[in-house]
This record gives sequence, structure tokens and C-alpha cells, in this order.
Amino acid sequence: MKEKNSASTASTLGRILATCSKQAKDYGSCVASKVHEIEKDLCLKQFLALKSCMQHTVKIMSSRPSSSQTSVGSGALSHAYIQHPSLRCNVPESRGLFYDDANRLLICVTSSQVFSWETATFNPDVSPSVDSIPEGPIMCIRFSLDKKVVAVQRSDCEIQFFHRETKQTLTHKCRAGSESLLGFFWSDSPLCDLAVVKTSGMDLFACDSAMNLRLVETKKVNVNWYIYTHESRLVLLASGLQCKTITGFQLSTAGVVRLPKFEMTLATTESNSKPIISAGDVHLITVYGRIYCLQVDMEAMLLHTYRFYRDAVVQQLLVFLREFEPLKSESCKLNAKQPYLACLLFLGSLPIYSSKLSVSVVDNLLLVHQIDAKVVIIYDLFVDSRAPVSAPLPLLWRGYQGSDSSSQATNKENESPGSSTINENVVMYEDSWTFLVPDLILDQTNKAISASSSDRTSLLEFLQRRKLEANKAKQLCLGIARALILERRPATQVTQAIDVLVTAYSYSVKAGIYKELKNEKTTPTNDGASPDNEGRRASESSLDEEEVEINVPSGSADEQQESQLSSPAISPDELYKFVFASVEETMVEESDYLVAIITEFLRSISAEKLKVDLNIYVMTIRLLAHSKRFAELSLFITNKIIEPSKEVALQLLESGRQNPRIRKLGLDMLRQLSLHHEYISSLVQDGYYLEALRYAQKRKVTSVRSSLFLEAAFASNDMQHLAAILRALSELIPGFKETSEYYTFHGLLNETSSSVAV
Amino acid sequence: MGMASMNSSGESLKLCVFDLRRGQNEGQELDKILFFYPPDVTFSTQLSVIGLSEGLITFTRLFSPEAACEVIEAERHSHVFHEAEPDIWMVMVVEKNKEIEAIWRVDALQKVLKEVHSLFVMFHGSIRSLLDKEPSGGLIRSHFYPFITDYLNDLSVGKKLQLPSFRETLKERGTVQMLTLARDAALEVQSLVGVLDSCAGTLRCHSVILFHDLLVSTTLSPDDTVDLFTFSVMRLTSNALSSGTSSWSYLRKGTSLSQTSSKSTSPQLLVSSDSLPSGNGHDAGRVIRPLQHNKWIKGKDGFLVTDIWGKDATPTIWLHQRQERVHLLAYQQKCLTLVLLVPTEAIVNGELDISFVKHQVIENATAKILKVEEKLSKGWGGENAYHVSGYRYLLVDNDMEVSRASPSGKVATLAKETLLAVNKLRETVDTEKSRTKEEKDMEICIRAKNNAWAIARVTRGKELYMALEKASDTLLDATDSVQSFSNRYCNGTFSMD
Repeated sequence: MKEKNSASTASTLGRILATCSKQAKDYGSCVASKVHEIEKDLCLKQFLALKSCMQHTVKIMSSRPSSSQTSVGSGALSHAYIQHPSLRCNVPESRGLFYDDANRLLICVTSSQVFSWETATFNPDVSPSVDSIPEGPIMCIRFSLDKKVVAVQRSDCEIQFFHRETKQTLTHKCRAGSESLLGFFWSDSPLCDLAVVKTSGMDLFACDSAMNLRLVETKKVNVNWYIYTHESRLVLLASGLQCKTITGFQLSTAGVVRLPKFEMTLATTESNSKPIISAGDVHLITVYGRIYCLQVDMEAMLLHTYRFYRDAVVQQLLVFLREFEPLKSESCKLNAKQPYLACLLFLGSLPIYSSKLSVSVVDNLLLVHQIDAKVVIIYDLFVDSRAPVSAPLPLLWRGYQGSDSSSQATNKENESPGSSTINENVVMYEDSWTFLVPDLILDQTNKAISASSSDRTSLLEFLQRRKLEANKAKQLCLGIARALILERRPATQVTQAIDVLVTAYSYSVKAGIYKELKNEKTTPTNDGASPDNEGRRASESSLDEEEVEINVPSGSADEQQESQLSSPAISPDELYKFVFASVEETMVEESDYLVAIITEFLRSISAEKLKVDLNIYVMTIRLLAHSKRFAELSLFITNKIIEPSKEVALQLLESGRQNPRIRKLGLDMLRQLSLHHEYISSLVQDGYYLEALRYAQKRKVTSVRSSLFLEAAFASNDMQHLAAILRALSELIPGFKETSEYYTFHGLLNETSSSVAV
Repeated sequence: MGMASMNSSGESLKLCVFDLRRGQNEGQELDKILFFYPPDVTFSTQLSVIGLSEGLITFTRLFSPEAACEVIEAERHSHVFHEAEPDIWMVMVVEKNKEIEAIWRVDALQKVLKEVHSLFVMFHGSIRSLLDKEPSGGLIRSHFYPFITDYLNDLSVGKKLQLPSFRETLKERGTVQMLTLARDAALEVQSLVGVLDSCAGTLRCHSVILFHDLLVSTTLSPDDTVDLFTFSVMRLTSNALSSGTSSWSYLRKGTSLSQTSSKSTSPQLLVSSDSLPSGNGHDAGRVIRPLQHNKWIKGKDGFLVTDIWGKDATPTIWLHQRQERVHLLAYQQKCLTLVLLVPTEAIVNGELDISFVKHQVIENATAKILKVEEKLSKGWGGENAYHVSGYRYLLVDNDMEVSRASPSGKVATLAKETLLAVNKLRETVDTEKSRTKEEKDMEICIRAKNNAWAIARVTRGKELYMALEKASDTLLDATDSVQSFSNRYCNGTFSMD
């Protein structure tokens, strides 16, 4: 019953959205068109239309009261959220906050102490570890990769090192006057442990356990500023008057790779003929294991994207060149040295709607914070399109209302699991807010997308690429798949969706990412609870206009398990269990459709050479028999689309009650599988007891009760048969003549007809 | 080749259809005749044939009211009876001439009658319904003449009509021959079927898919499948379209050849369309001749088109199982032929909706069709794909109405004695089967004059006939051969435990 409810809710909501698609579209385009000036109640008219349509539909469908709809206030369909509760560090006399991205440490310093929080595993209540350091100014602080050494940049010419165990200290200085220190970072490349960036270049040092620094190599470059992220192991050194000449090094475990020098693109205007790129305009991000560089071009109001390859820096425009083929000839001046340069401005760029801008990456999604507009635009760089995956979303606290009370202290939080790349101070939405890497929570992001994306297939693809909070993505996928079927979407659409899921699973199995959670699957409570949860989530995904954060209402044990999931991939068994099995009851009247979907599922599975739960075959037989498609059922069996097994054979026998041909298929299957006992019993049931006995004799099957044959033969009223069976049994079973059965039936035989000799 | 042939201009074959409910009063006897072949015989001859048949039916009904009369063997003729519909009888009278080729199995001749009837019903609906529509009988007669004439054309070679003789004993008319599919191919096919199913929106379409002259998939009941399959192989498949020259389908051969020759030589057999009694006193306008030759061509969009049903009109057929009329669309991709059956309710705006369905097929299914065609072509073993060396066999599954046999080229290598023995064997099994209604297991082995073995095994609805020509074989060797054949090719169905 529970399942049925949740299933019908999902489809109800689906229908609401379908009914109100026009209003939803109007509202969406209104928001999109006014994205730079977005504010509360901006598209109120359109929103109210949508809202009333939805409420109207709900009323018509006499579904549950529309409690969720009435709470809508801001006029936004979905939101990106900052995780809450936040990590607070109430440190008195705090002198500043730093984020050590290599170790994922949030560091707060006072005049003589260093507080550090592990952010890799998010826990708001964790207490910081404390180290003491001598007093002095702190410009930058980083822990070594083994966390034994704390390095502090004291000034533009001095770095101090403190060993946390031996309390040893070391001071490294550079030549004062001729050069100054820009910064430093620790590295895990085999060549060096520490890189110090100075205006004259970059020094690479090796550092031994006794904390002796040894200069390994010096890269001579004039540097104005640099950026580095540990995740990409990439350092970019900017030089030149406009700071647009970039030299890059990758200090990876494979060694130090020098990237060819390249020039950033900058538009010039009359008022500003020589714009200068600052360090804050360039962002290094890692998405799907690829390194991208994003560069803000304020004059052109564009965000240029570059992708780093090992041998060259190529702007991301190949795709666009294909799309905008005419542009190449008309407006692009092809340059042999820097091909397509002229095209970059138009093509490999994302639009900017704000004078201040920052980016962050959550789970391989690029989030561009349009700070002035106070919205987030989400892009998925994996797809060959620069269209955002969702409409611009306001950024909100997750489950946190009193944002106005936030102070410097509250903002120090939000490093959440899997958070990535950009390590810098970003001013978000209110000038007094200084955030360190605002982080957005995945399921909210997803919900936003499901509400705004109409193409379920790309949505599933998108979800399957999610790594962070994989379980939520997975549950959403299951919910979407189920909703697709329940809403009777065209089979081709469902097919694509299934293909996506199966391919993703197959891929993740091959890549070794997918691990089955055995204990999760076996706990009965979980089984009971999951469909319900999913149902809710599915419904939320299709009608998400609640502002309130909806947390997943599952136990903490569940959460833990969820967090263990590293991939949202869904195994075929799970697909069967949570999608097909759960819709069977509701869809039984539309079994044609469901069978078509299952066929596609099986085809997909077989194309990926995966195995599937036997129950899906049993279910297919049930469905086909239900709609009396016996001819097709026998094709399914003879072509082995339904693979033979005992369960399948028994279901065939069961469904064959309506159709003797199908029953025969079941019998044949039993025989071919050498399931002698079942075969003989079924033969006897059908009245073929002589054949059954002959078979038993040949195969030396003694497990079948002899009385079965005798009773069947006796019931047939043919005493010759009874006699034959008695005779055969006495030959087959040693000592049969001494049993009571023999006496009983022998007696019966003699009574009825004395002429038949035994 | 290999068929009992008779001169069509002579009176060696007579075929008639009559209704016992009609013409029961003296002087109105002619009224009961619905069809008579040859058409040019006098009414008195017609009446004498029908009178004799009617008498025999009435007489035998005294003893067996349910199944009256199957065959009368006279000295010079055989009368084969088939009660197509209640009180509507089809009778075939064949001359027993001295030619040895004129040895046939009654059951095989009956199957011809059955085939004519079920094809007729598929296109025109039941005979009784046509009679009810127009009690004068003009309507049914005007339909019968062209239909059966067109059908018989398929059986004619040169001037002669070929009837299934003992040479065809390892074949079974009225069954479907299937292509064996690997699982992955079967899944692709089924996936295509799923797409075809939904080509007309919410109403489910049926489909039958053929590759060369073999059935790949069907969503119809076995009976309907057989009819549509028969028709497709006759007229629609790539082999049928390529004017029959390369057709290897064992039941039909050389259709176009026979037509061109018969056109010139036997005018009374192939009546040209204008001389057909199309008007014939009823108001239905022109009579549709679904079995006309060379009327289907492949259109640019891959769909097969014909003007048999009128210009731009889509053929419709009657489905037995669902008791409904459906539109028939045929699509061809190389050797792959798809027959799509669209429910009439889905076609509200006539050709507009038809072209919509066609568009849907092209839009949604083209990729899958190409894929299936490619897969099947890759796995295609040629016309001898189902040859098992050393064996000449026929495998019949009566439940599914499916059969498989050694390729006819291979069967032709058998000695005449062997074939006669198999023919005899089949007759025995036929009699045995008709004696008891319930399914029986049996095994019969016959040693032919040339020491070949003819073996039949029947087990619950499945039949296996086999000819083994190794003279040195003992009975034990022969049964061993059957056993291993059964284990290897029939999943052990015929393995006697």
C-alpha cells in the first residue's frame, strides 16, 4: 500500500507539472530575462499564475492539501543552499582565517596560537587542534603535507617553519630589495617538497625530516601574482604589464611539467585600453578530473574558459566552432600561431551578469556566483554546451533563516565534504560576509535541476556523473526512472533513460568505483523504508517550490551508509527492485507498455554484458500472461530473452494454467534444466503419469513419492495403468513390495479387476 | 518439379465451394454453388460433383455429426473435403492418373483448402458474413472467383497445376518457418517490436517481422501469424518482390514465371482484371484482388505500396483472434520485411493518419530497423542454414504452428522410395492423430524398399519426421541418430527416455 501511495504521488506531481508547463515556462523565461536585476517578487505575476495553476490542478486531482504550495514566498522555484549548520570557530582575538587547501584545513590564527579544523569530514562540533607559534605577523600559513611542519609567511621576504613535534624552527629569507615573496605552497612531487614564489621566479626546495631546506631548482620568471590549487597541482604565474602572460607549471607526482606560455584574452574598451588581470580574476578549477582555468573579462562581461591539456593550452571552442561554422569565416581572423584567437571572445565564454563574480565547484559542477545579482548559475562543463543546467538560483542557507545575524564568525564555516578548489576570500551577496569557498549541497542542486530541466535523460546522465552525496543522486535517479514509467512517457524516452543508467553502472563497475552495500540490501527495515523515502524525494524533485530545506528523513545509520556510497550507479538488481518491481502493481493494467520497457532494459543489460535478477523474468512472464500475449511469451522463451531457470519454469507452469502451450514451455524448461523432481511432479499433475514414471525410471529419480503416481493412476480408473505403475515401482524401488502403499494399491487392484496380473 | 502436376485445361482438378444451407429446394440447386473451378464446365457437371459431395456429407454425418467426411477415395478420383465454416464446404477432386507423381497425402491437400480459406477470410472476412451481407450470393461469388484464381496461379507451372505430392512430404503447409535468433539479436528485435507497438499512439499496433522468408517476430496469435506469414511470403518479402526468381521458399516457387507463361497459354486460369466478373450484379463496386501478382512495389520511403486496394488506399485485413479489421503497412529494409498492423480506430482521418504512422515508424524505428537488419544479416546462414548433414527432417510444433525442415534442395536428393516411405509414414501418423483427440506420444519406424529408414516421433504436440538413407544402418543405429538429433537440435524433446 505504501508503495502504491508514493508511486501515485509521484505521478500526480508529474501531472501537475505537465499541466502547468506553460505557466512554468513563462515564469522561467521571466526570471531568466531579468537575471541581472533579479529581486524578490520580480516575476510575481508569472509566479502567481504558475502557483494558482498548480494549486488548481492539485484541487482537481483531489490530492492532499497543498500545504507546501502556500508557503512559497520568494518567488523562486529552487535554490542552491549553503550547508548548515555551519562550522563555527569562536576564537577570541582572532587575527585572521586561512584555508589550507592541500590538507583541507581551516586555520584560524591568534597572535601566538594556530587553530585548525579538519574539513575533509564535515562535523560542525569538532574541536580544533591547537599549535603554538611565536608571535609575529602572519601573511599566509600552510601545513606541510604530512602535517608535521607549519610554515608561516611573516613578511614579503621571510617564511618561518615550525616543526610541530620537535618544536624546531627555521627561517627562510629571500634577498631583500631585489625580490619579494609572493607566497609558497607545499608539493608532493618527487622533485621538491616546497615551492616558494617570488617576483623573480619560483624556487623549488626539498625538505628532509630534519627540516633542512635544499634548493633544487629555480624557475626564472618575472611574476606579478600567482595562483595555485593543490587539487590541480598547477601554479600559474602571471607576468607582463597587463598580467596576461601566463606561465604554468604542474608540480605533480609525475614530476614538474612546464606549460607553454600563453596569453589571456582581454577585451579593450576606449575607457580602458590596458585592462589588468588580477589574481582574483583567474580561477583554477578541477571538474571531472580535467583542469580548467576561468578568467574574468570584466570589459567584455565574459568568463573565458580554458582547459589545460598536458602539451598545450587550448581554448574550449572546438565544439563551438562546429556550431558556429559561419562565424569562423566572417569574424574570426585565423592566426597560424594562435588559431581561433579572434573567436574566443564569442565562443568559449560564459556570460557575466555581475560586476563581481566568483566561482566554486561542487561535485564537478561549476557554480558561478553572480555576486551583484545575488544568484548562482550552474554549469556542467562536461556537456558540450554552455547553457546553464538550471535557471539562476538564489543562494540560501540550508535550513537557516537568520542570515542577517551572521558575522565574521559564522562565515568561517562551510567547508563541506568533497569541497574543492578555489581557495580565496569571496565576498558573497553582502559586503560584510566573507566566505571561504561557499559550498552548495548536492541534492538541492539536483532538485533545482529536476524542476527546471525537461529532458530527463540528460538529467539522469547528469546525476550519474555526481560523486558527492552519491546516494541522494542515486535515489533521485531511481525516483526519476520510476516516475518516467508511471507517467507513461514514450518508450524511447524511457529507453534512453535506462540506457544511461545501465551504461553508467557498467562503467562504474569496470572502473571499480561501484561497490555493493551488502548489508544495506539485506536489512529489512531499509527495504521497507526506501520506497517511501524515494517516493517523497521523487515528488520533491518534480515539484520543488518549497523554500524550506527538506532533509532526507532517514536514520543516522542510513546516512552513514549513504556517505559510503562513492557512486550513484544503480545496479540492474536495484533497478529491478526499486523501479520495476515497485511499479508492477500499478502498471499491471498497462503491461504492454511495461513489457516494452523491460525489454529495453534487458537489451541494455545484455549489451553491457551484465546479469540481472531472475525475478525480472518471472515478472515479465506474469505481465505477458496477464495481457494474454502468449505468442510473444513463447518467443521470449524460445529466443532465450527470458533465460531459463527454475523460477522461470515454475512461473511458466503457473501462468500456463490459462494456456496449455505455455505450460508445456515450462515443462520443457524443467526437463532441460534437469530438474527431475519438479518435472515429474508436473507431468503427474497434468495426467502424464506413465511418461513421468518412465522418465523417473530412466533418470533413476526416487525423490518423487511413489504414491503420487499410484494415486494419479488410480484416479484415472485405468487398472492396466495402475498395474503397470505398481510393477514399475517395485522394480525401481528396492523393497517396495513390503511397503503399505504396495499393499493398499495392490489390494485395490485385485478388488477392481482380478483379471489383470501384476 | 516434384509436384503432382495436371493439365489445367483438362478436368484433372476440380475445386468447389458450396453452402449446404442454400438451394435446398428443387430447382434452386445452383444457388448453393459459391465457387467452381474450372469455371467453364457446365452447370450439370458442377451440380453432379456438388450433389455427390453433399450426399456423402449427409450420409457420413449420420455416424459422425461433428467431423463428417474427410476424403472419399474412388477408383479414378479422390475427393478431399474441408468444412471451412459451418455448412460451408470446400471440396477438391483430384484425378488419380497413372503417373507415379500423383501420390499425395490427403492431409496436405486439405491444408491447401484450409490455406485458401483462411487467406480469404483474412482479406474479406468470413464467407458466412459475406453471404449475410448479400443473401443473393453475388457478392461472395464475385470475390471468390478472382481470389481463388489468383491463388491457384501460384500453384501452376506452365500449363499445369501443381498439387503437393509425396515429393513435398517433408514440408508442412499452414505453418510458419522461423529464424533462429541469438539472444542479443532477439533482444534487438524485441526492442524494435516495442517501438512498432507504439507507432499509432496509445492504441497498440501489432507487427510481424520477416527476414528473407523466415519469421523473426510476431505479436499475433499463431493462427493470424500463419495467415499473414503465408501472404507475406507470397507477395511481400524481398524474395517475393524480386519477382520470384530467387525465391527459395519451399512452398512457393516461380510465381512470376508461371504467371507470364500462363498469361499467354491458359486464359481461363488467369483472367485478366477487366474480364473478371467484377461488377457481377452487386453494388460494392470493384472487387479487390489481394493475391494479384506483381502489384507491390517498394516506395521511396521504404514502405511497400500497391494499388490493389485502390489508388492511395491502405490495405486492411481481418484479424481472427482480435475480431477486428486492421490496416496493413509493410516496410522493407533489404531482406527485412516489417508488417505493421494498425487498428482501424487509430486511423480516423484516413490517409492523413496513415502517413502519420508511417512518419512515426521512420522517425522512431529506422535506427533500430537498420540495426536489426545488420545483426540478422550477419548471423544469416543462407538458405541451407538449417541443413543438418546426414539428416532429412521435418519438425512440426503444432502448438506454435511452426515447422522447420531440411532445405528443399537437400530433400530433393532423397530417393523416390524414401520419400514414398515418409509419405506413407506421415499418412499413418495423420490417421493416428485424427483417431484420438488427445495428444499422444508415438514412435513409428518404417524400412523403405531401398533400405532407408523413415522415422516419426510424436510427443505432446510436436512431431519429428526423418529420413535416413544409410542402407547399412540397423534400427538401433537409426534410433540413435534420431536421439542425437533430438538432443542437439530439439532440446531433447524427442528423446525417448
